[in-house]
Amino acid sequence: MLSGWLFNVCFFLSVLAARTVALHAEQFDEELTLRPLRDGKLAARFSFTTLLKGVAPRNPERLDEDDDSQHYTLFPLALGQILREYAVTEMHLTLNAGNWAYDRWGYPDDLGVSTGAELWAWMGEGGPVTVDDRWKGLRNALAGLFCASLGSLDEQRTTSPALTFQPEGSLPRWNASHQLRHATLPSEHVCTENLTPFLKLLPCKARSGVAMLLNPHRLFDADWHGLGVHVRYLDAGVEVRLAFQAVFDPVRLSSDKRRDWSLRSVFDRTIDRACPVARSSEVRVELLPDSAYAITPDPSEIDGNRATYAVKDRTEPLDVAMRWPGEEAFQYPIEAAPLSPLSVRRTLKGSSQSDAQLSVVIRNNLPVQVRSSYLETMPWLVEFYLHTLHADIGGVPRDDLVSVISYTAPVPHTRPTLFQAILTLPPKTTLHLTMDVTKTFLRYTEHPPDAQRGWDLPPAVLIPFDFGEDPIQNHTTSPGTSAKYARPARPRRIYTSVLLVDLATPDFSMPYNVIIMSCTLIALIFGSVFNLLTRKFVLVRLDGDSAEQKPDVK
Amino acid sequence: MATAVRDKASAVIGKLKSLILGTGDRNISRIRRRRKLTALLWKSLPALIVTLLSAGYFWMLAIPLPQLGQRTYIDENALQPGQVRTYWDWADVHRADQYLEGLEQLRGRNASSDEIAQHIATEFEKIGIPASTQRYSFSTTAGVTNGTNAYAVRSSPRASGAEAMVISASWISRTGEGDGTLNLRGVSSVLALANFLKGYSLWAKDLVFVISDGYLDGMQAWITSYHGVPQSNMWAEPLELSSGVVWTALNIDYPGHSFSHLGVFFEGLNGRLPNQDLINSLFVITRHTAAVPVVVYDHMDPHEFPGIKADLAGIPEWVPGSLRENDDVVEYGYRAKNILRHANYQARGQASGVHGLLHQFRIDAITLFAVPAAGPHGFHAIGRIVESTLRTTNNLLERLHASFFFYFLVGTHTFLKVGMYLPSAVLISTALMFAGLRAWVEAGWVWERAAPEPEAGADDKAGTGEKKGGPDQLKGRWVTRRRPVLKPLGIMLATHAAGALLFFTITQPWFVAHQEAYAVPVFALFSALSFAPLLLSPPSSSSPSAEAPLPLLLRALTLCLASTVTSIISVLNFSLAASLALTLGIPLTLAAPAHSLPARLGKGALYACLALGWLVLAPGEVRRAVWNWEVLRVWFAPFVCVVYTPLMLQAAVVNVLPP
Repeated sequence: MLSGWLFNVCFFLSVLAARTVALHAEQFDEELTLRPLRDGKLAARFSFTTLLKGVAPRNPERLDEDDDSQHYTLFPLALGQILREYAVTEMHLTLNAGNWAYDRWGYPDDLGVSTGAELWAWMGEGGPVTVDDRWKGLRNALAGLFCASLGSLDEQRTTSPALTFQPEGSLPRWNASHQLRHATLPSEHVCTENLTPFLKLLPCKARSGVAMLLNPHRLFDADWHGLGVHVRYLDAGVEVRLAFQAVFDPVRLSSDKRRDWSLRSVFDRTIDRACPVARSSEVRVELLPDSAYAITPDPSEIDGNRATYAVKDRTEPLDVAMRWPGEEAFQYPIEAAPLSPLSVRRTLKGSSQSDAQLSVVIRNNLPVQVRSSYLETMPWLVEFYLHTLHADIGGVPRDDLVSVISYTAPVPHTRPTLFQAILTLPPKTTLHLTMDVTKTFLRYTEHPPDAQRGWDLPPAVLIPFDFGEDPIQNHTTSPGTSAKYARPARPRRIYTSVLLVDLATPDFSMPYNVIIMSCTLIALIFGSVFNLLTRKFVLVRLDGDSAEQKPDVK
Repeated sequence: MATAVRDKASAVIGKLKSLILGTGDRNISRIRRRRKLTALLWKSLPALIVTLLSAGYFWMLAIPLPQLGQRTYIDENALQPGQVRTYWDWADVHRADQYLEGLEQLRGRNASSDEIAQHIATEFEKIGIPASTQRYSFSTTAGVTNGTNAYAVRSSPRASGAEAMVISASWISRTGEGDGTLNLRGVSSVLALANFLKGYSLWAKDLVFVISDGYLDGMQAWITSYHGVPQSNMWAEPLELSSGVVWTALNIDYPGHSFSHLGVFFEGLNGRLPNQDLINSLFVITRHTAAVPVVVYDHMDPHEFPGIKADLAGIPEWVPGSLRENDDVVEYGYRAKNILRHANYQARGQASGVHGLLHQFRIDAITLFAVPAAGPHGFHAIGRIVESTLRTTNNLLERLHASFFFYFLVGTHTFLKVGMYLPSAVLISTALMFAGLRAWVEAGWVWERAAPEPEAGADDKAGTGEKKGGPDQLKGRWVTRRRPVLKPLGIMLATHAAGALLFFTITQPWFVAHQEAYAVPVFALFSALSFAPLLLSPPSSSSPSAEAPLPLLLRALTLCLASTVTSIISVLNFSLAASLALTLGIPLTLAAPAHSLPARLGKGALYACLALGWLVLAPGEVRRAVWNWEVLRVWFAPFVCVVYTPLMLQAAVVNVLPP
């Protein structure tokens, strides 16, 4: 009787506990932004935001205590478990394929467009497990979750460039401070095996809502595509945002080279039904003001240059389409001005296997002076000669434009290089930055199986942050350009392209020849030396040679 | 019983042993045996040298034999040549024709380089590929070469831009090694291909399209700027567009109206060759995807034209008819023709096309040469071939590294591995080394006839005078003598310095401008140098029994140096080593002072002609070699001046000096 009563109490308590956790309000919003680009392409950004209200990230100091039980209805449990296991406050994972063309496409809607994999996390210090151990656990867990080679983001690639990667949310006020860990893997390829686990984290999977459009056959044929997982702590709670960005080329897809597009033509699907648990579900199309276009069906709302469709209000399938009826075939714009404040070109010059020159060409496209931070994180394979860092503009040395240099030298086989500086870019000029680098000679066991490919180097990151006043702003014809850049909501990162570096590579196709050859040489040398050392030298008298004593060797 | 058998056996073995090894003290018999062998070797050394020399020369003659060689094959599994369906169709051919029309208009109104490059860059921009132009100029002793390149970089979908493939065409075709024939159809092919290739998302590497101005100069400016390698006599605008590491490149050369065969040119600067997999892939694709017959260079395969096969194989008229029609002879002639063409490019370090400039940056590149003919192939075939070849190289996950980098491509199906031809040059250089060592030993020992009174003083002077034979061979004895090497080394150094001076002279503007006038005086001046030792060297004070004569020492050192140089060059540039072995082998082994002064002078003059005759006899070759050195950094001109000519001059000095 007593036990039955106890059981009832326990059951009641556990239900209550479950209730209290479940009472954390969760809200899910989804959104698709479509942006026709100047060069006929179409940028699409899917954003799925889940907010877990009233919850704080796990304090690492309590990692040895039992954690609160996790009961979510919308929040992705698999991700939530990882976040709490390793006490991660903020985390950003992006897996991208392709090179974002800032000049032609402008800034991306989601800033993380680094080629390959990029992972960065802010984690609290203190507690029984160190930040580095938790970072290791985090990347291995995410590698398992997203089927990506994130496990290779090890100490040899991990840096802490806290100035460039500021937290996007807020950090809880704990006793200990927070630490950043950042690593990139430029050679990571993104494909369906990463998208499938990504879709599993969505409350409606790909069955309804805008996620229905996530058709791998079309997404992975796009000119640029990438998925991202962004976790941050807001005052309201913990927010997980899953994002997918892609740049499609409707001109390539169409038979008569037109830039007309529709959801059907681009994704090969339409939005048939809304996700029932989503609080809001919207499709937004940015309209080009200076072209004769037609958009169907009629948007629910037009706000300036943006048409919005509320998927929840619709009863029939939604197939947004945009046409340019007046155009025969799409004419590519010739010599159009770049859309980003800075154009960056980074290359590795030189043809030898021992050293090279890193060359970064940065053009300030604005009529105002821009100050920008510049970050290089290099694996130890490539070492900088810092004293050879030179800046010039049109052949005139301007080393004064590079300031506040901070440099963490690499430790071979252990730690990567971290180089940060502030660049001052005069208006409408091109700054050439060069630095000599040396390529390491690797141990032969350190070469990957595809040794002749070379090594991928991560992108550099620039953040233009200080836009000077335009002295001739009143006279310029388009004052909006500079004004638009002069007061950005927050500094935005610009990633350069990745590099491939050739290191001295042994000819792995003939190890046996080499072994046999060197063994023979060693045997010959050893044999002769041994012979000379152990031989006894005596006089030998030849018959009939008695007149002479000929010393000879026995 | 068993012991008896064992004893018997050991007795038999002992007898055999004593028969072979001799009786008596083992050590004594060993020393005897060694002396006998040494004597035998010394006696047969001249015969051995002749044997090695003739073996080397005969081996060289045997290289084109039809029995040698093996079939080509694809070694890199990633390539998978010819395994794709091509999409290039007649609409693209029509577009190529339209581009050609535009280019012909430019040619018709004699447009400047700038105008042409701007036109091409605009065409790329219209396709939607970022394009730019690059102006450059080379200042050489022969004058200033200007031009403007046009190039475009297509960032492939989903690709990181770390890797790239180059598709290029030069404005001037390689016909006649750049005699001015325009490569209009090659350029329009590249433009049409750019438009076509952009329509596909399957590219894993960026596509870089380059239309270089001139024949070789434009690409040299472009590729050195791309890799940021400065060149002192070059000015070039920095590139405004860039891409990643280039692994492979295809250069399209289509000078005629149509073509019957597709030829491949592959020799690069300083004798570098591209990986053979690239050539083999192109052959497979051309045969099977486009059904176009392939040839090496522009040499028609004689088996394809039975009526004129002997003429195609380059067999001279005087060869009897039955031999001329013999299949093996024809095959030998065809192979010899290919090998000679190859060796001609490789030995001179000359690029056989624009592709050759890319090898210096580890880019495997070849030129597709559309052999001009009345038909039947045109843009349709070339488009399909290039598309399929690009898709093959697009498959590469690593640089081409499997297959071969050292080979003779003797036919479209057959090649020779390095082991099949390398020994010929090495044999000759071994003969030179043996001859040199023999001269060195001769210089160290002199056979002294036994005088009635043995000259003890000379013996003491020599210090270690010894008899070599036994006491019963008292007719004479071997006496060592001093080998003063300082003088011959000084002469050698002087000739090499003279070679450097000669190189300095022929790269001077005044020499290049008035080559005909200056060639003979320069020739005479430097030839006279070989007679200078005759005047300068005082008559040898000491007797030949005390000190080795100067010509003998010089000959020994020259032969050893020539042999070493040839062996080393043979693993870098076989054709150059073979030509060196051919030209140095016999003259150097025969160089020896004659007894009469006129004979000495005559021989010296002959050798001086061998060393410097090219100055007078091949002025065009000199001009080209100097241009190649100044613009393309080809080592042939300095090599001839600083290595070949001095070695031959040393032989001339050997001939001139009194014995």
